[in-house]
Amino acid sequence: MSEQIQDIHLRNRMQRKQWQDFLVDRGIEVFADQEIDVIDDTIGLFDENGQLVGTGSIAGDVIKYIAVCNQGAEAGSRFNTVVSELVSRLAQQGVFHIMVFTKPQYTTSFEHVGFTKLADSDQGVLLEKGDPNIQKYLAAIPKKDPDEKIAGIVMNANPFTLGHRYLVETAAKENDWVYVFVVNQDASLFKTEERVALVQAGTKDLENVIVVNGGSYMVSYATFPAYFISSPDAVVDYQTTLDARLFKYWIAEDLHIQTRYLGSEPYSHTTDLYNQALQRELPPEVAVKIIPRKELGSGDAISATSVRQALSDGDINKIENRVPITTYQFIVSHQEELEARIQKGNENGD
Amino acid sequence: MEIKKTALAGTLESSDVQVMLSQGTNGIQFDLDSDVAKQYGTAIKATVTSVLNAYGIDNADVKIVDKGALDMVIKARTIAAVQRALDIVDEPNWEVL
Repeated sequence: MSEQIQDIHLRNRMQRKQWQDFLVDRGIEVFADQEIDVIDDTIGLFDENGQLVGTGSIAGDVIKYIAVCNQGAEAGSRFNTVVSELVSRLAQQGVFHIMVFTKPQYTTSFEHVGFTKLADSDQGVLLEKGDPNIQKYLAAIPKKDPDEKIAGIVMNANPFTLGHRYLVETAAKENDWVYVFVVNQDASLFKTEERVALVQAGTKDLENVIVVNGGSYMVSYATFPAYFISSPDAVVDYQTTLDARLFKYWIAEDLHIQTRYLGSEPYSHTTDLYNQALQRELPPEVAVKIIPRKELGSGDAISATSVRQALSDGDINKIENRVPITTYQFIVSHQEELEARIQKGNENGD
Repeated sequence: MEIKKTALAGTLESSDVQVMLSQGTNGIQFDLDSDVAKQYGTAIKATVTSVLNAYGIDNADVKIVDKGALDMVIKARTIAAVQRALDIVDEPNWEVL
């Protein structure tokens, strides 16, 4: 075995070209910035002639752009070498939970190296490996009696507004228990822990509401890697379908959630597509209930976007009537820091 | 002994085994992936269990991806994983070795 693993530096033009050509030859043709920019590490497997015969990349806890040439090697051995190296590198960084998004035909290859399938669509499949896995995530969430009426809401809450509050309140009135999952994504203006804390503070008086961090399983679907899908229309369909099925077959199934509540989406086209995917995928096991957005009067729907806009305009008075007092107090006491974050331009999401 | 920190040892290459140990609460729980699980599953688990017992570990989640490793390889990888999980990489346990 004289095949060697080496780092590939994508900033180096020659290495990037060699890497990209290798992937294109293997049917991976998408090299969009949002896919490439998040990559932390890329490795190459080179044969005795210095020829690239395999590659894989790490982006956070996700591995992607995995491709091998099986010519002149035992089937699967190069694939295993590449995945093995990626897994070991992540372990050295203390990351023991790994996810992969790939084409459905590679499901078995990944299952052979210890991955478990979580959800799939026609276009792509999501698998995970390691610890803590989805069973451990679910085991840590308090369970309720399946005979009771249980609802679920997933929100980014960036930040928690009176619109979110209205949605939670409505679900809390109509159900015995409501799980509120806060999307785990630190690209948002408000950090995940801040958003979770604000949702908790803003729903404290509702005794049947359980606020849960979405963990690895309720992230922004838009961050699902889609480097293996060439058509942009298919990408949104794949991302939303995968997200919906993950929720249905794992989260709702385990926590006995019978109804998922959504806010109507008058502004964002992609969120609207997402809502459509949920309506298509979740029933009949999980009903979907769309609650019209709460308005301020004069047709001005409350959105987290408008709160962030007001914050970035320095127009903090505009915020007060859009958010619960708990969120308002947080914003006032962290105004400088939040403005600094906006300056840094890391605003994202809703 | 309690496992405080998740640890990994071994690779996914042919004739090797990858062992991941993490904190458990309910005895030693196995999650075994192997093409020869039917024939050797029990033997693989017994080897890993005996190493864990030698270190006094009663509770652990063990994830094994076996690629046809021999018994001594399984033992060696498990020892490495345990030493990492217990943060005692610099203090080999001679009685186990």
